[in-house]
Amino acid sequence: MTTDALKQEIVYDDKIVRAFIVASVAFAIVAMSVGVLIAIQLVFWQANFGTSWTAFGRLRPLHTNAAIFAFVGNMMFAGIYYSTQRLIKARMGSDGLSWLHFWTWQIAILGAAVSLPLGLTQAKEYAELIWPIDIVIAVSWVAFSVNFFWALAKRNEKNLYVSLWFYIATIVTIPVLFIVNNLQLPTSFLHSYPIYAGVQDALVQWWYGHNAVGFFLTTPILGIMYYFIPKACGRPVYSYRLSVVHFWALIFLYIWAGPHHLLFTALPDWTQSTGMLFSLILLAPSWGGMLNGLLTLRGAWDKLKTDPVLKFFVVAITFYGMSTFEGPLLSIKSVNSLAHYTDWIIGHVHGGTLGWNGFMAAGMFYWLVPRLFGTKLWSTQLADAHFWTGTFGILLYVVAMWISGINQGLYWRALDAEGFLLYPDFVEWLISARFLYLMRMIGGTVYLLGFFAMAFNLVMTARAGKPVTSADRVVIRTGFEGPSTWELIRGWPVVLSLLIVVATILFGIASPLTQGAVAGFLASLVIAAILAVGLGKENWHRLLEGRPLAFTILTVVAILIGGLAELIPSVIIRHEVPITPQAAEAKAAPTDSSAALIASGTTDAPGTSGTTDASGTSGTTAPPGMPAAPVKAATNAVVSAYAQQPYSPLELTGRDIYIREGCFNCHTQMIRPMRHETLRYGEYSRAEEFVYDHPFQWGSRRIGPDLHRVGGKYPSLWHYIHMRDPRATSPGSTMPTYRFLTDAVVDFDAISRKMEALRRLGVPYSESEIATAAQTARSQALLLATDLAEQEIEISTESELLAVIAYLQRLGRGPQPTALENAAAPEIGTAGGGAEAPETAEVN
Amino acid sequence: MAKHLKDEVFDHEYDGIQEYDNRMPNWWLWLLYGTIVYSFLYWGIVHTFEKGTLPIEAYRAEVAKAAEAQLARMEGMEISDESLVLVSQIPERVEAGSRIWTQNCVECHLADGSGSIGPNLTDRYWLHGGNPLNIYATIMNGVPEKGMVAWGETMSPTKIQDVTAFLISSIKGKQLPGKDPQGEPEEG
Repeated sequence: MTTDALKQEIVYDDKIVRAFIVASVAFAIVAMSVGVLIAIQLVFWQANFGTSWTAFGRLRPLHTNAAIFAFVGNMMFAGIYYSTQRLIKARMGSDGLSWLHFWTWQIAILGAAVSLPLGLTQAKEYAELIWPIDIVIAVSWVAFSVNFFWALAKRNEKNLYVSLWFYIATIVTIPVLFIVNNLQLPTSFLHSYPIYAGVQDALVQWWYGHNAVGFFLTTPILGIMYYFIPKACGRPVYSYRLSVVHFWALIFLYIWAGPHHLLFTALPDWTQSTGMLFSLILLAPSWGGMLNGLLTLRGAWDKLKTDPVLKFFVVAITFYGMSTFEGPLLSIKSVNSLAHYTDWIIGHVHGGTLGWNGFMAAGMFYWLVPRLFGTKLWSTQLADAHFWTGTFGILLYVVAMWISGINQGLYWRALDAEGFLLYPDFVEWLISARFLYLMRMIGGTVYLLGFFAMAFNLVMTARAGKPVTSADRVVIRTGFEGPSTWELIRGWPVVLSLLIVVATILFGIASPLTQGAVAGFLASLVIAAILAVGLGKENWHRLLEGRPLAFTILTVVAILIGGLAELIPSVIIRHEVPITPQAAEAKAAPTDSSAALIASGTTDAPGTSGTTDASGTSGTTAPPGMPAAPVKAATNAVVSAYAQQPYSPLELTGRDIYIREGCFNCHTQMIRPMRHETLRYGEYSRAEEFVYDHPFQWGSRRIGPDLHRVGGKYPSLWHYIHMRDPRATSPGSTMPTYRFLTDAVVDFDAISRKMEALRRLGVPYSESEIATAAQTARSQALLLATDLAEQEIEISTESELLAVIAYLQRLGRGPQPTALENAAAPEIGTAGGGAEAPETAEVN
Repeated sequence: MAKHLKDEVFDHEYDGIQEYDNRMPNWWLWLLYGTIVYSFLYWGIVHTFEKGTLPIEAYRAEVAKAAEAQLARMEGMEISDESLVLVSQIPERVEAGSRIWTQNCVECHLADGSGSIGPNLTDRYWLHGGNPLNIYATIMNGVPEKGMVAWGETMSPTKIQDVTAFLISSIKGKQLPGKDPQGEPEEG
């Protein structure tokens, strides 16, 4: 009676949930339609329509961004807004913030839909959106987080349910990833360069990319699973302990696994191994989520016959289990050597997005919409039809991509009896994959049709009912007892966990002599932890669940450790460039700075290569006291070692066009140390070759061949013909035609501004180089145009195509003579120009 | 029913959702522990004790194996630039060449090849040609009028191939400061 008197009515905000559902369903159809279009483009190149806006390289980022941020993003927000309010028995913090969150998010999506086809991109996967849109996203996320934590602050339920743990992890991790990966220096309102280059940019990008999957497509959806599955089947969650263990393990481990996207690249070996091992350990925590989802359905399996919601959930969780098994499998180096750059990865991500995210979304919508409109689902049969066509569509898609991926990997590595490439022509594989690409196209289309059926069904359901606002009568609380935040975060579980983390890192960096001792220390800590768990009387974690602030702080700590441990060593590697008198001397008197760099075992060059090689006349002296061994290692390579030289103004322009057109969506620039790769593409790529690459362009898949050492491989005329009509030089290619580049005009005036920005990021352009950039670019373009004119090709010297050719001819070749030297030289950039350029006075 | 399935619910619910106090399945725990233990072992073996094969080393081994196979097929054919390059991709042969170099060549060319009595072998300038076959012939036949020994009189062709392999893989192209350039610059 007294408690009832204390009860007040809490009205939940369900309008915002409906809004997010509408947005999610609409954008799902857009995202998947674009996906079907680009799948068609890979079978019929004509579907690129010959325009810049509709070419594969520009539409593929539109597809991925729409699927991740528009479809799953809006779905996630719908699920979070609905479940959070009910789990904490309070309305969201502020309706204003809810709507600010909603509209800014949709504005960002519309910005993406306009900017990506226009070629405005940062060229980092799932972080393509240009900086003004990034700012809108940041505003949106701030509104979301403030709203969420505000709601927690006024909650009427003391403890946080497991769904909320996953939401907290999502909300705090996404900004960390997003900000660190999007640190850019703008050159204009629409363009910017990332502050990182080469290897560092690659590492930061895939730390982000992998955890976008982890914390955008996984953790929030797990939270949603923990709410909607028990709700839909009316059974208790299988195991609370499993929730606790797999939650903390998942968020702690996920962060470390990013480098598995960069196995066999120029990334340092220790980082690669870290990526592989943490991915393996991640298997069990991921499966913890699957188990808790599936086993919650014990005793409710009969409902599967009748309830489409549970069907979708069960298949979704099964796909989650399959994808999270496949992920660690693909992270094993030997498997990765076959699968990397292939369609297997495409199959893997679609198993995750179509199977896990898509079906969780469908199940949630079928459960929510009738409740939000106070009615029953319009047609269960149609939902069943959606379920079966969707399942068929995913399987066709994923199986086609598995076969295609393995086929692709085997084609590439196949050697004949004499040890040479069995399929030296890259296109041979592409032609063999055509049927599988057709299957993928059909699978994707069938899946999309299912979503149309769902949209129709949901609309009819909504029309049959009326928007309902639900409410609860709850006891209003103003505060909760229990230990303070500070008491909780200095509790023994935290102290022991941190000690174990420190001991593990010490184990990693220990020498062969000390590692045994560290291992012993670590083992004793683990035993202490096990004993402490056994002796603990009160459940510390239950107490933690009653203190959202403490919970959030510990979540932040857990996700920061992996990021810091992996990123910091790679970022400070810059400072290993010897800033010594010798280096200064080497700088003053032109030297072969490359030898110095290799000798110092560094991957970066700002300190030493700055002014030396700009003229292309490097001398033959090296700093005294150079250790012999590293040099030997370097000269063992077929290509002699040299530092990188910044791109010439025209090459830089060409590079920005390459980025704008999204060439990295099909072409890698990272030759792995494998004989079949070096036979096909040339010497394997090394870290120091990318020091001026803002952003890196290693790519992640090969629908076309690797381009890292394409420079000098073909005459410029070949590139001219190939870019305008790829099938003229490579019959069977599916590359879009880039004829439109011929008449597009280079913005010569923008070059100086871009070079100035790059100089601020550490690229050693001199004042005069920047001041005369337009002029230098024009002279280099004139040389290329003259070369083509001699072969009876008329092309404007202002054509963007010339800039692209200049960039392609430069790729993978280290220091090249600049345009001015070219004017004197008979040919554009002879091979190995820098290290072996004509000698100067020092010779005699 | 398995031991971990007590199916006791906690006396608490969240919006009607209850939780069981079931133990974690043992196979799941062993999967977790197993991958952790494996990772520590992998790290210790591969990174601390450096007993494993990292990608670049694996690549070198792959190249060496291919070179050996190719050489075997070329057996009986004349020594050529190509065959010498293949030898230079086999670490044991280069190693053997390195020992011969240290024993016989360093008095005149210095350990790093930068030259004292003999010319600097690291620059781009060659008196008798810088192609692998030129280098091989120079070592084999010597240049008696300039003091270069005709090593073919005392050493097997295999050993001369080895030292040539060492020269082209580890000395040539290092561009070290040393004795002033002599002879003609190489093309390229």
